Amino acid sequence: MENTKYDAIIIGAGHNGMALATYLGKSGWKVLVLERRLEEGGGLCTEQYTRVEFNHNLHSNYHTFVGLCPVYDDLELVGGRDGVSYAHPPVQMGSIFEDGTAMTIHTDMKKTHASMSRFSKKDADTFQRLYKEVKGFQDLMIGTLMYAPPIDVNDITKALSIWKVEDKTEFFRARLRSISINDFLDKHFEHDKIKAMLAFHASICGYFTDVVGLAISFPFMLGKIDNWRLCLGGAHRLAHTLWRKMRRYDITLRMASPVQKILVENGKAVGVQTYDDQEFYADKLVASSIDLGQTFNDMLPEDAAIPKEIQLEIDNYQYQDGSFFSVHMAMDKIPTYKAAEFDPDINNAWVLNLGFERLEDFNQDWEDIRNKKVPANPKLNVAVNSMFDSTDAPDGKATGLIRVWVPYDVDGKGPGTWNTSFKDVYTNRCILKMEKYCDNFTRDDIIQAKPYTPLDISEKLVNMVNGDWMMGKISEENLMGNRPSPLMSQYKTPIDGLYLCGSTTHPHGFITFGPAYNALKAIAEDFGMDRWWEEI
Amino acid sequence: MKKEYDAIIIGGGSMGLTLGAYLQRAGMETAIFERRWEEGSAICTSECTAPGFLHNLHANFCEFMDWHPPYHDFKLEELGVRMIYPEAQAAIGFSDGRPPIVLYSVEKPENFKKTHESIAQYSKHDADTYVGLRKQILELQDVIAVNYYNPPQDTTGGRGDFFPMLGIPSDLITASCKAVIDYLYESSEFKTMMYRILQEFGPALEMEGLGAMIMGNFWISLNWRMMVGGTHTLAHGLEMAGVREGMDFYENCEVVKVLLDNGRASGIQLKDGTQIKARKLVASNADIKATMLDMVGEENLSETWVRRVKNYRIGYSNVLASTALALHEAPDYKSAKYNPDMNKAFYTIVGFDTPEEILQYIRDGVSGRMPGIAGAGTWVNSLWDPNYAPKGKHSLTGWFFAPKASDLTIEEWDEVKATYNDKFIQRFEKWAPNMTRDNVIADYFYTPLDQELEMRLMEGDFQNGSYMPNQTGHNRPFPEASQYRTEIEGLYLCGPYMHPGGGVSSGVGYNCFKVVAHDFGLEKFWENHPRGF
Repeated sequence: MENTKYDAIIIGAGHNGMALATYLGKSGWKVLVLERRLEEGGGLCTEQYTRVEFNHNLHSNYHTFVGLCPVYDDLELVGGRDGVSYAHPPVQMGSIFEDGTAMTIHTDMKKTHASMSRFSKKDADTFQRLYKEVKGFQDLMIGTLMYAPPIDVNDITKALSIWKVEDKTEFFRARLRSISINDFLDKHFEHDKIKAMLAFHASICGYFTDVVGLAISFPFMLGKIDNWRLCLGGAHRLAHTLWRKMRRYDITLRMASPVQKILVENGKAVGVQTYDDQEFYADKLVASSIDLGQTFNDMLPEDAAIPKEIQLEIDNYQYQDGSFFSVHMAMDKIPTYKAAEFDPDINNAWVLNLGFERLEDFNQDWEDIRNKKVPANPKLNVAVNSMFDSTDAPDGKATGLIRVWVPYDVDGKGPGTWNTSFKDVYTNRCILKMEKYCDNFTRDDIIQAKPYTPLDISEKLVNMVNGDWMMGKISEENLMGNRPSPLMSQYKTPIDGLYLCGSTTHPHGFITFGPAYNALKAIAEDFGMDRWWEEI
Repeated sequence: MKKEYDAIIIGGGSMGLTLGAYLQRAGMETAIFERRWEEGSAICTSECTAPGFLHNLHANFCEFMDWHPPYHDFKLEELGVRMIYPEAQAAIGFSDGRPPIVLYSVEKPENFKKTHESIAQYSKHDADTYVGLRKQILELQDVIAVNYYNPPQDTTGGRGDFFPMLGIPSDLITASCKAVIDYLYESSEFKTMMYRILQEFGPALEMEGLGAMIMGNFWISLNWRMMVGGTHTLAHGLEMAGVREGMDFYENCEVVKVLLDNGRASGIQLKDGTQIKARKLVASNADIKATMLDMVGEENLSETWVRRVKNYRIGYSNVLASTALALHEAPDYKSAKYNPDMNKAFYTIVGFDTPEEILQYIRDGVSGRMPGIAGAGTWVNSLWDPNYAPKGKHSLTGWFFAPKASDLTIEEWDEVKATYNDKFIQRFEKWAPNMTRDNVIADYFYTPLDQELEMRLMEGDFQNGSYMPNQTGHNRPFPEASQYRTEIEGLYLCGPYMHPGGGVSSGVGYNCFKVVAHDFGLEKFWENHPRGF
């Protein structure tokens, strides 16, 4: 007879759902995790997408919170018995420009400075000051702005003035709240290419650079520009690690078990019913790591008491304007670039920008995307993981990735265009573009290329609504205490015992583990748990 | 990563996972090292056509689950492994819309009547024979299971001993499976069905000396279970069973060498040079040739073993190519007008009207070319389990008998990959008119070469070694190795090239565990187990 009674039930086995489960299980709770898909991990998804033996990270590829996020340490996710290993490429990022020049970001900031100095000594110095300044505040910001339930954005401004931060720093200003990342770059930097490099970094983090208010996050983001890491063996290994940790604490994960209903009795969430009408009960809580629409509109009973203003916020929850179009490539070799003549390090850079030359290029793309136009001239993010992980392709071959920001809805006709031959046309366009920058690499070196579209994202991981892997717009109205709504930002919902722990909550999507960690704090508070974990 | 374990298992396929869970439970500190990034090898499920459509590219039938030792011993259901037992188990339709033959599950006595009626449309004799045999097998199946879930004991392969009991002449034991089917049945339609079902089990239909293997086919046919959410959930369950016992599992760790110390297996070396010590044993469910010739090395083997391993034959039996189709609608067969179950059978044969077509199809395969007749055994698991496809859509997976991976060049396989599904769909439409190109949302073709590269199922042979008289039972893979031991002390073999072969049985892993338990004085819990094996 199957056990149906638990302390906690978690909906969704993405990285946040699994991390929260592991904390609770390690605290002695009996936990059940229910996952809709066959595989655990959500966006931690690695598949042999193009051809057998070529492993592609279909979603999460860049992990930038290793060493910063307390969850890695608390749950021993790196090294040791079940843990993953990360590569930390010495040349983290690079931009290649049409004039044959290139810029590189290194883990060694002296080298970054040297690379930038070739374009503007003044900007390189500014960047160095900015980076150093952020590093000084990093722990404080990590602890208060990422790994703690969010405070009101206005309180941040107040705190900045109370602590007299502005007197002590050159870059942190309350007014960052009213400007965009582009504005910040224009204010402090002079060289187009340096601005483009830094804006590219923000865009890959999921931040549109022209959105007013996002400048407040920008310095913090720059503080980890040297912390881009590659999960060896594929991002899915991190999911395996979490799953094995869960198992060691006797937590059960059931795959292929879509939740159909959250059971509510007397206004309290008491369990769930799966698609096959099985019921599972939770004494303490149900936590949802999936999107708001499914959680509130599909799973809660119709008579669940959701106050009107909250329902309105749920219905009006905003998603990102754009999503990613990816081209996954099985390749005969690792590409090298013409610009290596200018900067040989570019051939060793992991995360590449091929196409963004100046801030206007970003603005053009953001405008296209908001107008539901696919950028005619794709600007590429290229990464060849095989340079650092030999297990992702057969010996002598390589696995590559191109990513481009595009709209989910094309020309106002919905996402259907992504299911037509247009995706092949656009794939070719991306490859042609990449070819132009390479000195040893042409289409003929690609054994197979296969697109993965915004529609694919939302069909594979249905909680990434509109193909939004951040699971909610990155804008001031939808961050911190506003995420997912002012009334639910503390990981609780109007239904007693129903918590939120996914990327719709603060901070946002990406492998931050912030939602899980912060939900844990809220839960620990409510249930008076002993906090064995590192409090930051 | 720990540097030392009691037991190290090379390869995280279903047999390695099985052995690992039992060894850890028996008190041995055990780790599995897997070359790929996923556990389970061929018990894999993939979204290879389009997001949300699941396809079991290898194992689809899960026929041994009533016996499957780890499923019961480790309570895999608690770990999320669930099954569906479709009522209509197998069906064959015809291009001219003649009535189908549908075979029903054996759990309900009244189903035998339905099965009988269905076959009797073409031959009362065949219906009597088949139902009579299948009922007799119900009485014998636990005895057959004992043969299956023990190291092989004799040189006849065991299963043939049952022929006299079933009233089948003993001399057919050494004939081909085709000869046994021809002896038993008369109608063209039912023979077509039996030929094809036999083929799914692996042995080449016309290979002399394999008549006895039909027992396994009798046994498991109509015991076919479907895994909820994909056969891969069983891999998850097996791994977690081991992890729950305390076992470790390392993926992306390719083993390149078995380390020897005074002629004894003392550990392994990974591709990156890391060495891990095995205090007691190393067991491999990697390919036998790679294990013995590459990881151990010819220089460490006797002349006999080198010769035996090199002579071990792989293919033509068991070589399959898979098709995967994401569909708007499930196939609607012409023959379904006589029996709607035709449209909702677990395993459906499509593309063959006569026994000769099946024979031609298999002869093509063993002659090294893709069959001219693109017929297949198919499954549409989304008919039972909504996890297999987005709402209202369907996922179909099918198997083709195929030539060996080495028969075609890479370019030729690419060509097959790009064109064979079209050929299949064109033929399919003659059986089920709604199976047009427009009904196909996306498709994928998985070749024997893919299987070799991806799973190291050499030549695309899912049993990792031909079924032929001198490679079955006590002769599998060769007499000196049949007891899961090798001539290297402390090195065991647990791949599908051992008795009782591959499939979702866990048989090899379980039997290997028995031998290890004997050698290391572990508790022989099965000796007192009511199931008798």
